Amino acid sequence: MIAGSPQVILRVSHLTKTYRGIGAVRAASFSVWPGEVLGLIGPNGSGKTTLFGCLGGVLPYDTGRVETFTAADTPAIFYLPDAITPWPEQTVEWSLTFARRYFRASNEMTPEWLERLGLQNILRKRIRNLSKGQRKRALLAIGLITPHPILLLDEPFDGLDLRQTREVAQLLRSVAAGGRTLFLSIHQISEADRVCDRFVLLSEGRVCGEGTLEELAARVVHTPRGQTQTLEDVFLALT
Amino acid sequence: MRSRRGVDTFTCLVRKEWRELMASRSWWVMLLLIGPLVGVSFISAVRTYGELSGVNGTAAGVGEAFSPLIGIWAPTFSACELAAAFLLPFVAIRLVAGDRLSGALLLELQQPFPAFARVLAKATVLMGGWLIASAAPMLGVLLWWIYGGSIHVPELLTVLTGHVLNAGLAMALAAAAATITEHPSTAAIVTLTVTVGGWIINFAAAVNGGIWERLAHYTPTAMVGEFQHGLVRLEIVLVASALTCAGLGLAAIWTRLGQTSSRRAIESAVLLASTTIVIVACTFVRPSWDTSEARLNSFALVDQRRLESLDVPLRLEAHLAPEDPRRADLERNAISKLRRTVRDFDIRYVSETTTGLFEQTREQYGQIHYQLGSRTGVSRATTVEGVLNEIYTLAEIAPDRDGYEEDVFRGRPLAATPRGAAPLFYMGWPALVAVVALIARGRSA
Repeated sequence: MIAGSPQVILRVSHLTKTYRGIGAVRAASFSVWPGEVLGLIGPNGSGKTTLFGCLGGVLPYDTGRVETFTAADTPAIFYLPDAITPWPEQTVEWSLTFARRYFRASNEMTPEWLERLGLQNILRKRIRNLSKGQRKRALLAIGLITPHPILLLDEPFDGLDLRQTREVAQLLRSVAAGGRTLFLSIHQISEADRVCDRFVLLSEGRVCGEGTLEELAARVVHTPRGQTQTLEDVFLALT
Repeated sequence: MRSRRGVDTFTCLVRKEWRELMASRSWWVMLLLIGPLVGVSFISAVRTYGELSGVNGTAAGVGEAFSPLIGIWAPTFSACELAAAFLLPFVAIRLVAGDRLSGALLLELQQPFPAFARVLAKATVLMGGWLIASAAPMLGVLLWWIYGGSIHVPELLTVLTGHVLNAGLAMALAAAAATITEHPSTAAIVTLTVTVGGWIINFAAAVNGGIWERLAHYTPTAMVGEFQHGLVRLEIVLVASALTCAGLGLAAIWTRLGQTSSRRAIESAVLLASTTIVIVACTFVRPSWDTSEARLNSFALVDQRRLESLDVPLRLEAHLAPEDPRRADLERNAISKLRRTVRDFDIRYVSETTTGLFEQTREQYGQIHYQLGSRTGVSRATTVEGVLNEIYTLAEIAPDRDGYEEDVFRGRPLAATPRGAAPLFYMGWPALVAVVALIARGRSA
């Protein structure tokens, strides 16, 4: 943490990314706090993956600033994309070992993590032979093993069944409780509601709102008296 | 500390790329095919060499003029040229493009590491894979030695160097194509287009001469050809190395997905411009070495010493069309050697047509005009003896017949049959590769 920004770990200012003149992300600005689970909420095609790609440094952006405030001189952000099959011919076990060595992670994949992610029985399977859910859990394990203080997870619950979703949500909460900052891109609002502390609402590349559910609900003008706002209501009202 | 970390990351990547190579079917297919390919060339070469060396009494004595470099190594290692043109690029494309297609590159790029070193890790592993594949022609060398054949190590190393440089070029080209294009199939088309482009340049050189002829000296085919004749030209080594570095550099530039396309395009243009300057500079580099036991690329020692002592410029003007066979004879037998020997030498070819068929009636056609300092002469001879006679006449050097005896190459005839080669290359090699592939792929899974 540096002086002058005691609380923010990541600040994004007016980030814009266009594809041949079409704006995928339009002047997006928001902040991320240390140790929180922040949800990037938006429908399909709203620019979530593009925004994450830009933050992860694997996609160039046109204008704007991305500032990280961490003590280490190593990269602060690790972005785990959705729907990838890295090192398809290698086993899950090898991939985890490689990720740990390559990213110089000091944390081991503990048996508890392996159990909670349901990986014990698939460690020796090749990644290309995994089912969608298994692959997602293996990818999450790779993401969790990296040492970066900010972890960007693109659609972390996609492909998981209800039980696995709850298990992974609990695991992510415990990881955040350990001090790591999680930024999750989620298009299914009910899942986001369950795991995230705060939300960034994205629609057509624009940030429509940022804050806790209560803060966002307060911005909705026409709230019927005595009715509790859900994240879905807020999202529909603000986007 | 930082450099130690860099070495660790590089080692980590090399290990990973090695596993990926072991897991790639394309490499095993290349390995499987190169054995029979070498086998066909080697068996045919040994058979022909044996027959001309006098086996079965067919042509006794002819083999005296034979050198294993031309008779055995060139054809045996020609399988490597085929593999480098048609198999190795696919292995390289698979290894380079695979990471991008699978999404692994998105993860790996997030660890700060120089892009060139990242590509170099892949190139290192690919070269290792290529050297393993080179075990097939080396098996031919071993068989030749078992048959009692002569092995002149410098010329064998020269042939190997040529094929390693050629493989480096093929890899670099494929790596660049794999990173610049969107899909491996497009990269394969680009790579094959460049290969075919090289052949077109060779064809154009044969038809048109001039700048095409100059360009054709730097095509992989011509480059390998020189090494197969035991000639190491520093110029060619440097140009091939520069092109290989440029290809890997392009691959490194286009691997950096976090940079805008326009920036990568500008960096590519700068790299290509720099490479062009380096290549032009390399063309002025003159040192070359004839490593062939038969001194195929050099004049006899006595002639070499006389020509090296010439202290005035030697200029030739040959009125021969590009497709005239006499021009090819002149170039191969005399001019290529004069370029290596005479300090200040230049030749200009003059013709109005490509074939020369309709120029025969022109009085000057077929003439070679010599200018040594202020003296001039004209001749029609395209043989080594004819060319040297004319030069010696102009230089007023008396012939010295006795001096030629000291370095006459008597040849290395060997009346052998390729016994054991067919089962080894057609059955043993594929079976061994298949077994090792099964074990290695099983271990990597």
